[in-house]
Amino acid sequence: MTRNWKIVLAILAACVVVGLISLRGLHRRMARLAKAEVTEEQARHEVLAPPVSTPTDVPVKAQMFWAGGPDGLAPVEIELPLSADAQERSRQLLQALIANPPTPDQRTLPADVEILGFYILPDGTAIADFSDALSNETPSGILSERLAVNSIVRTLESNVPGLRRLKILIHGQEVDTLAGNVDLTGFFDLNPSVPQPISPTPPVAPRPSPSAAPTKAPHAPSAGTAPSKH
Amino acid sequence: MRNILGVVALALGISVYAPFAVAQASTQQEQQGNSQQPSAPAAAAPPAQGAPPTAPPGAGQQNAAPAPPVPAPAPAGPVIVLNPAHGGTDSGARGQNGAAEKDLVLRMARGAKAELERQGFRVILTRNDDSNPSYDDRAAMANGYRDAIFISLHIASTGTVGSVRAYYDQMSSPYVPPPDVAGAAAVAKPALSVVSGLTSWNDAQRSYLNASHRLADLIQIEVAQKFNGSGDTSLGAAIRGLRSVAGPAVAIELSSVSGPDPDTLANATAAPLADAIAQAVTAFRAVTPGGAKQ
Repeated sequence: MTRNWKIVLAILAACVVVGLISLRGLHRRMARLAKAEVTEEQARHEVLAPPVSTPTDVPVKAQMFWAGGPDGLAPVEIELPLSADAQERSRQLLQALIANPPTPDQRTLPADVEILGFYILPDGTAIADFSDALSNETPSGILSERLAVNSIVRTLESNVPGLRRLKILIHGQEVDTLAGNVDLTGFFDLNPSVPQPISPTPPVAPRPSPSAAPTKAPHAPSAGTAPSKH
Repeated sequence: MRNILGVVALALGISVYAPFAVAQASTQQEQQGNSQQPSAPAAAAPPAQGAPPTAPPGAGQQNAAPAPPVPAPAPAGPVIVLNPAHGGTDSGARGQNGAAEKDLVLRMARGAKAELERQGFRVILTRNDDSNPSYDDRAAMANGYRDAIFISLHIASTGTVGSVRAYYDQMSSPYVPPPDVAGAAAVAKPALSVVSGLTSWNDAQRSYLNASHRLADLIQIEVAQKFNGSGDTSLGAAIRGLRSVAGPAVAIELSSVSGPDPDTLANATAAPLADAIAQAVTAFRAVTPGGAKQ
């Protein structure tokens, strides 16, 4: 019996030693992973932070929507160098919306927000990916959340022709609400007066030639919204 | 060997049955809890049309004391479902002095409920404590009644202190892939709701957008007269908490938790807000009798 107990105790001691060794290794590995994540995040920010500029930038008068007016937003015309490429143009506009409100009281988006990505699908669907700051730092409330979303929507629809709807992501993910109230699970309609590209029946007309009549096919992107490649 | 197999089988049987037994027991407990809680109508059956207004809690226990004058029972009207937003770990807007939206709206909702019941309305709260029912659970409480009006109460982080704004849902579009993305077959296939005539839970509010807009306008007319600084018109926003309500639904937001004394503001708001709701609902019922679809 004594011998058996000794064997059991020896096995238990061996298990404890093995556990301690593997625990230290696990700790070291987790610390390394955490460090790598931070580095990756920092690198991403370094790449994304500089102001967006492209060779096709032309100074134009852009209509920006910041806080003000009876319904919460007021148009402000500013001169901005904007790209001819719809995707870059949208990024530049959003960057200006975040960085250049005329006064602090007119700010609609938190100053720390970064644009992590902006993509345009061939059917005119835009996808804007913002950093966590958009949802963490936008004051909770229908008033402030509505203002934030509408300033994005109205600025894009006023300056980027051909966009039809917008999806807002936070750090690459779909989230339920912006800051507890405004629904981000759906798509926000842009330029609602433009005919919708989606018809209930499949298109039957043959594809028009480039020199065809000037009427645009409903889902054909306009010159300003060339399909973006990313 | 047979004994060992028997023991193993018994142990397996217990381990499989135990979670079900626990779940069943907890469900029974929850149901008992709900039946004891006067303002938790999730499990309650929808009231019959024409039923008298709900008696105030504790009305039957006041045999000894002289009863206060009871208002005459109002004609059968809609059930007003007051939804104090947020709750539990979701504090909502937070003021600089630590005031939390979830606490203030609960106090406001309780005050408004008492005032509306005094005026003869049937009122239920989606929460009466610091819990946080899901959006779906809150919507389900309203959807359980045939003729409910859902009013979600909020306090903003910003805005002119003391002003009130009514919002209706401005639903964002569901995404339908274009033909060249999903293929012609997918487009030719009609949506499930078209085939079955059923309404999608996530789209339940869509059929009531016009009615909700009308109700929000009527509420805004009332609050504009009672609360200085309030706008003249209601506003649309994609409000998550209204999306699944199959009936007229609005959100009312008071500004703000950032004021000097949000506690006093919330307490003082309850009665006039209830009065505004009562008048707006009465006017709404006059122009939109019945279910109010579109």
